[in-house]
Amino acid sequence: MLSIKLAFRNLIGAGLRTWLNVIVLSFSFVIIIWNKGVLNGWNEQARHDMVEWQIGGGQYWQENYDPYDMFTINESHSAIPQEFKNDIANNEMTPILINTGTIYPDGRMQNVILNGIMPNQKVLKIPTEKLENNSNEISVLIGKRMAKNNKLEVGDYFPIRWRDANETFDASDAKVVGIFNSNVPVIDQGKIWISLQQLQKMLVTPNEATMLITKNVDRKNAEVDGWIFRDHKFLLSDMDEIIRMKNVGGSIFYLILLALALLAIFDTQVLSIFRRQKEIGTEIALGMTRWQVVRLFTVEGAMYSIFAAVLAAIYGIPLLALQAKNGFPMPEAADSYGLPIAKAIYPTYSLGLIFGTVFVIFIATLIVSYLPAKKISKINPTDAIKGKIQ
Amino acid sequence: MANSIITITNMKKQYPEGKGKFTALDDINLSINSGEFTGIVGPSGSGKTTLLNIIGSLDVPTEGEVITLGESIGKLTHRKAAKLRNKNIGFIFQTYNLLPVYSVYENVEFPLLLLKMSASKRKKAVLDALEWLGLTDKIKSRPGQLSGGECQRVAVARAMVKLPEIVLADEPTANLDAENAHNILKMMSKLNKELNTTFLFSTHDEKVIQYLTRQILLKDGKVVG
Ligand SMILES: Nc1ncnc2c1ncn2[C@@H]1O[C@H](COP(=O)(O)OP(=O)(O)O)[C@@H](O)[C@H]1O
Ligand SMILES: [Mg+2]
Repeated sequence: MLSIKLAFRNLIGAGLRTWLNVIVLSFSFVIIIWNKGVLNGWNEQARHDMVEWQIGGGQYWQENYDPYDMFTINESHSAIPQEFKNDIANNEMTPILINTGTIYPDGRMQNVILNGIMPNQKVLKIPTEKLENNSNEISVLIGKRMAKNNKLEVGDYFPIRWRDANETFDASDAKVVGIFNSNVPVIDQGKIWISLQQLQKMLVTPNEATMLITKNVDRKNAEVDGWIFRDHKFLLSDMDEIIRMKNVGGSIFYLILLALALLAIFDTQVLSIFRRQKEIGTEIALGMTRWQVVRLFTVEGAMYSIFAAVLAAIYGIPLLALQAKNGFPMPEAADSYGLPIAKAIYPTYSLGLIFGTVFVIFIATLIVSYLPAKKISKINPTDAIKGKIQ
Repeated sequence: MANSIITITNMKKQYPEGKGKFTALDDINLSINSGEFTGIVGPSGSGKTTLLNIIGSLDVPTEGEVITLGESIGKLTHRKAAKLRNKNIGFIFQTYNLLPVYSVYENVEFPLLLLKMSASKRKKAVLDALEWLGLTDKIKSRPGQLSGGECQRVAVARAMVKLPEIVLADEPTANLDAENAHNILKMMSKLNKELNTTFLFSTHDEKVIQYLTRQILLKDGKVVG
């Protein structure tokens, strides 16, 4: 208690020197928390978008299906299991049929993945109702990235070629009936959405699907022969990995910032112990033990982080709150990460994040303060009183 | 010597110097009684500061025994020595040694904080000490804003505030002009009489010597009278 009181007095008494350190350290606080908050916000938004647009509550995959293996995709479909019929009818689940194909917009060739989906499904946010038509031509839905890359607009026609289940090539013209705008690039780039029935007809695979997407994450997903259930943990693992990498990248940046702040404190401490010899000697003469003085100097250094936390709260909370409300605008180019990114990210700050950061910085300042202060225990008080540099 | 509060027997103090040793104090035998107003008088380098530091437990004798307030200085742990200084010994230095970032009030309060005295008692003691030394109007000043004489008065207040048994004053007037020196000495002499605090000076200043009730002459580390 005494060292806290005296350390507080010393810091307040030291004036400008204290505030310079406190200001630098408070930047670390705000930037670390802000950086983490943006990542958290992005993570939450990306998960939310992926659940709504791509993965639903979880997916049953036909046992051969491997999204990274183009060669087996066309063999990864089988009849929709009987036990799912009810759930599909109730919009609790929706089947997707997947196959490779080639399109020739503007005469250029592009390999694509054809996705068959029920026009009346309510599981994913994709506006599949646009696929509802009675005509015999192939109607397709594409994402805005796909549309932009291939200069396609609603109403445009382009040739499409595929191989059916009997290994026979077939081709036809397809008409763009809708372009949707989603933050999730995976359902957009290189993807063509067709009505499930239409695709089943094209591939001659009546009543078959590659995967079934469930709506509710809490659904009891029983084991079904020939199908493997993939939960959120599995389906989001790529994204978790990217977020983790971004986290590491961000950490390097703010570790440097934090190191600078800690260096400033370390430096102040080392200087103090030289410059304040006379003070140290006097304190010992007045009845402090040398270890009490070590503790006092250590608490003094660590107290910078408390002051910095208070200062950071004063300007940081309004700043971060404003941004949590208005969002952090993301550059268009951010799309190339392959992660769902909204136009603006709304940072989220948890109490754990804030207190964790304060705690870590407090411990760090405690250590960089203690290391130089430890030297005091070896000071000769009679020399120190005279102000002799030892 | 029933009243002896400082007893020194056959004390020697040596400092390492190169490969050999330098003897700063040699064969010191002394006894100081409670309530004395005594000065160790000698030229610069004679060992006055060294002697005061050992009596005040900031240093230890190389040989012999020094007993201050019943404690054998050579045998004290750091912690016990600190406690002895904190409770019973007030230090006054030639260069004042005030804590620069503290106000006058905080400087005087410092020893009482170490003593863990309650806030109300502390306040009263600090204000009393400041009044004795005529510093009541300087309470909020920082040492940098004070004159040398005022600084030394603050140092005296800081030494006296805990009502110690012994005050050790190492050339307290060396940096003061005549008027301030007399001022300080009169105050200390008065405190000595009113509170019966033992004062032990080190000095070679004539102005101090005239106030002393006893002189111990020191030359080249030896007591010569
Ligand atoms: N820490 C030390 N190391 C070596 N020699 C010292 C030390 N302190 C004092 N001395 C020497 O001891 C002698 C006495 O010093 P000091 O007690 O300061 O004398 P005074 O206070 O009478 O001027 C001096 O010659 C001084 O150089
Ligand atoms: Mg001296």
